[in-house]
Amino acid sequence: MGLLSKKDAKLITDPLADNNPITIQVLGICSALAITAELKASLVMGIAVLFVLSVGNVVISLMRNIIPSKIRIIVQLIVVAALVIIVDQVLKAFAFELSKTLSVFIGLIITNCIIMGRFEAFALANKPWQSFLDGIGNALGYAIILVIVGFFRELLGSGTLFGIPVLGDPIEMTGVYGLGYENNGFMLMPPMALIIVGLIIWVQRSRNKDLIED
Amino acid sequence: MIEHLELFFKSIFVDNMVFAVFLGMCSYLAVSKKVATAVGLGAAVIFVLAITVPLNWLLDQYLLQPGALAWADGSANGEGFSGMDLGFLSFIMFIATIATMVQLVEIVVEKFSPSLYNSLGIFLPLIAVNCAILGGSLFMQSREIETFGLAVNYGVSSGIGWFLAILAIAAIREKIRYSNVPAPLRGLGITFIITGLMGIGFLSFGGMLTGGEDETPSPEPTAQVEKIQTEDAKELAENTKIAE
Amino acid sequence: MAVNTDKNSYTIIFAVAMVVIVGSLLAFTASSLKPNIEENKRMEKQQNILYAMGVNGNEGTGDITFVSTDKVAGEFSTYIKEQLVIENGVAKVDDQAYLIDVKKEQAKAKNGGTRRLPLFIGEKDGKTSYIVPIRGKGLWDAIWGFVALDKNMVVQGAFFDHAGETPGLGANIKQRYFMDDFDGEKLLNDAGAFKGITVAKGNNDPKNLIKDDNEVDALAGATITGDGVSAMIKKDLKLYLPYFKNLK
Repeated sequence: MGLLSKKDAKLITDPLADNNPITIQVLGICSALAITAELKASLVMGIAVLFVLSVGNVVISLMRNIIPSKIRIIVQLIVVAALVIIVDQVLKAFAFELSKTLSVFIGLIITNCIIMGRFEAFALANKPWQSFLDGIGNALGYAIILVIVGFFRELLGSGTLFGIPVLGDPIEMTGVYGLGYENNGFMLMPPMALIIVGLIIWVQRSRNKDLIED
Repeated sequence: MIEHLELFFKSIFVDNMVFAVFLGMCSYLAVSKKVATAVGLGAAVIFVLAITVPLNWLLDQYLLQPGALAWADGSANGEGFSGMDLGFLSFIMFIATIATMVQLVEIVVEKFSPSLYNSLGIFLPLIAVNCAILGGSLFMQSREIETFGLAVNYGVSSGIGWFLAILAIAAIREKIRYSNVPAPLRGLGITFIITGLMGIGFLSFGGMLTGGEDETPSPEPTAQVEKIQTEDAKELAENTKIAE
Repeated sequence: MAVNTDKNSYTIIFAVAMVVIVGSLLAFTASSLKPNIEENKRMEKQQNILYAMGVNGNEGTGDITFVSTDKVAGEFSTYIKEQLVIENGVAKVDDQAYLIDVKKEQAKAKNGGTRRLPLFIGEKDGKTSYIVPIRGKGLWDAIWGFVALDKNMVVQGAFFDHAGETPGLGANIKQRYFMDDFDGEKLLNDAGAFKGITVAKGNNDPKNLIKDDNEVDALAGATITGDGVSAMIKKDLKLYLPYFKNLK
């Protein structure tokens, strides 16, 4: 990455693993549970957050010197809500099909604490370019976990990936279903997402002992 | 009265904010290491929910719902102000109310009760980003809570549900410190898994109190239908203009 | 020059400025995009109505496909023979009936007003369908749909949609395998009384071959959304009962 200095590159790579927003910073859990029953939804949510977080970070960073500290929470929330609502309206007017797919996520994006969390922790104290990179990095780290959880939940819960059957047909009893395999409908329930994230944390911290809590 | 009781128990157990709809997870996971701090945050959440849900209910009823602006110019049936639908503003209005209330509460508490302020401390601003709070207002809107009293009830009881959840996990986490958990799972990892298991447990409440009024079997379905038929169909037959 | 951002006066000015800027920005986008959005919504409604009566681009067992947007207006006027608005027991012909907002009508009924009930009469391959809009609540937000009936209130086709149900769970009401299960189901029981259709778990009929049990198979993990579908079918379709009784 010749474009980025070493420090800037770290802003992107750190949140992918060692400072992951979900497994380390504990941000954005609710949405990670709500929409990961399907791989496609996980991916769409990841991309939407990537957009909102990077743009929002830049906006907040540009405003960081003029925001009164007493009302900064309101300002941050209103900026992100206005951003999301405007994008939603524009999509509804010019890309209606796309907006139908995305409209489910609008509430989840505004209430997503990963966005507020990064505004508070980073964008309020850093320059726009760094904030932009931080937004990209954190959104990617978030998306990675979402996709992993979505992959396992959809595969084990419905036997499909992106809606395409990969394990055979459960009604016609072909593929692995012919061997007596059955879909575990429980994987579709939100509690299983928590347990999968717990297992991801287990794997991640076994590989990097520095992350282990006391 | 009975509807108040039903809503109260339903919001605490059946629709528990944490275990049933998985809202407010971030602060639930991050601030549940000790029972004392968990109690502080839980109480603050109850307080803010109890204020913001009724406030947003008023906003929803008199500003946002389709036809809600009828009071402004006395119009009805979709003319003038009553025809406006400001629904697209509900997110931003609700958020503004919540953030304002949180900030206001912070300022007031700091001024009049420094000791309480110190014990709540950092938890107050954290509440604004707790999605259980916004979730409470949005559920209130989408479930069409009917009266102001019920809105207060809903705010308080869903807050209590969240309080109980964080209290339970904090107590478990204090105990589990003495257990032999695999090192990489210690702390956050095991908390995720325990919460998942508790969520599975709470699924068993799911069958209670759901859709009560729809499930009541109408004992004489024919008689009921006859009534509708005779009343409305007669009228229909009289003025009918159906081109068939 | 650095501003003192802690001063009360500055805070208030900033807050007022922000409200004005954000408010006017939102109002501007909302009003300037309104015609486009309404046009899109209008076409979507026509597509949905046509979908329910079986005019769609479905092939094999794939995803749901609507009539394309450039053809929808033409197809709508070809297949929909008549649009009615039923109000106080009087049915009037109104070719804008499909634009009636069911949400607003429900709110009106709740506030003691009279609810206008739109009904669309379509004809395809010599078969007449009566298409009725319905609306209710799912787990998170609103759910709605269109049900095409014949004159005995047997379902000819159904379309459901939702504002924010959980992807992979409640959102599956918009999948073909769920909607197609409604075809042929009866809204009346054998005695001719209104019974509705219940989205039922474990009803011994997962392939949905029995058509007179007033039940369709539920979606895994989406109990509340399924109950919402049952409830909106029961509540909203019941309102049209006098009309259907009158047809016979």
